[in-house]
Amino acid sequence: MKFVIALFSAPHAPSSRRALRFAQAALAGGHEIVRLFFYQDGVHSASSAVVSAQDELDLSAEWRTFVQEQHLDGVVCIAAALRRGVLNAEEAQRYGRTAANLTAPWELSGLGQLHEATQMADRLLCFGGP
Amino acid sequence: MSKSLLIVSRQPPWSGPSAREALDIALAGGAFDLPIGMLFLDDGVLQLVGSQQPGTLQQKDLSANLQALPLFGVEALYASTRSLQERGLDGQALALAIETLDDAALTALIDRYDQVITL
Amino acid sequence: MATLHVLSHSPFSDSRLSSCLRLLGSGDGLLLSGDAVYALQRGTAQRQALDLMPANIGLFALEEDLCARAIDAPPRVQVVDYPGFVELSCRFGKVNSWL
Repeated sequence: MKFVIALFSAPHAPSSRRALRFAQAALAGGHEIVRLFFYQDGVHSASSAVVSAQDELDLSAEWRTFVQEQHLDGVVCIAAALRRGVLNAEEAQRYGRTAANLTAPWELSGLGQLHEATQMADRLLCFGGP
Repeated sequence: MSKSLLIVSRQPPWSGPSAREALDIALAGGAFDLPIGMLFLDDGVLQLVGSQQPGTLQQKDLSANLQALPLFGVEALYASTRSLQERGLDGQALALAIETLDDAALTALIDRYDQVITL
Repeated sequence: MATLHVLSHSPFSDSRLSSCLRLLGSGDGLLLSGDAVYALQRGTAQRQALDLMPANIGLFALEEDLCARAIDAPPRVQVVDYPGFVELSCRFGKVNSWL
């Protein structure tokens, strides 16, 4: 099965962790993830500026490692990200902001990427809320 | 053939960007000529009330985005009869030409679509 | 096309469960995750509503969330782990998460 996984919540929300565990189980089960798409507060789950206490789960780091190691297509909605202060170096420079907090493997792009992936996939799985 | 997507919007209009961002998914899908449906459910029907003045909250008006739905090819627009009734909106003129559906019809509607996003 | 509905909000402070129950069709499934597993708490109206669901509705709950909250699922409810969640999302025609 081909999945597209859309995340709508920040890394401190249990649903962000649930999405990651689902994605890991899907790959372990021999399924394919055609794209991860982070929208609304999900853009925070891609931020590299999150600092977790040493004895706490660092979910945005886990997401980053997961996308890197599995060579996944990780897309963060650009409009949602700008609105919430999640910027890559290019956008930080464009808008004169002092910091960039979105790095590779994440890419900023538009909602069309969600629709395109949904067309390619057999299932759309959305995670968000608590 | 393109897969159809039903977007179920349950958010009231002025409690944050959620209602607008749900509409944005629909508009983006319409721009790609995809078969998109939009259902207003629970507090989502509050988006459909006419003559709202979000300017008092320094918020952009959603109604322009709502009116844009048919222009972007999103013509399958539905609202829950029950949600409208619960909020005293049944029989009121709404800001959008929309088909109202009872619970059984909503079940059938969700069944018809290939994918669903409920925000 | 049967739908797997997924809930994660507490049913005591949120209307998603009651909205969702009204929209379930024959052959649909309901997966409780996160705080939504509190709907299985004994002696509550929510648990009673789930007990009364017709047999053609599949009821599922995420194991880790039940364990974390010390909630026992009734025999009617199938307890799933993440591989089980993945399998359910393949078995049903689509997944509708109530975000």
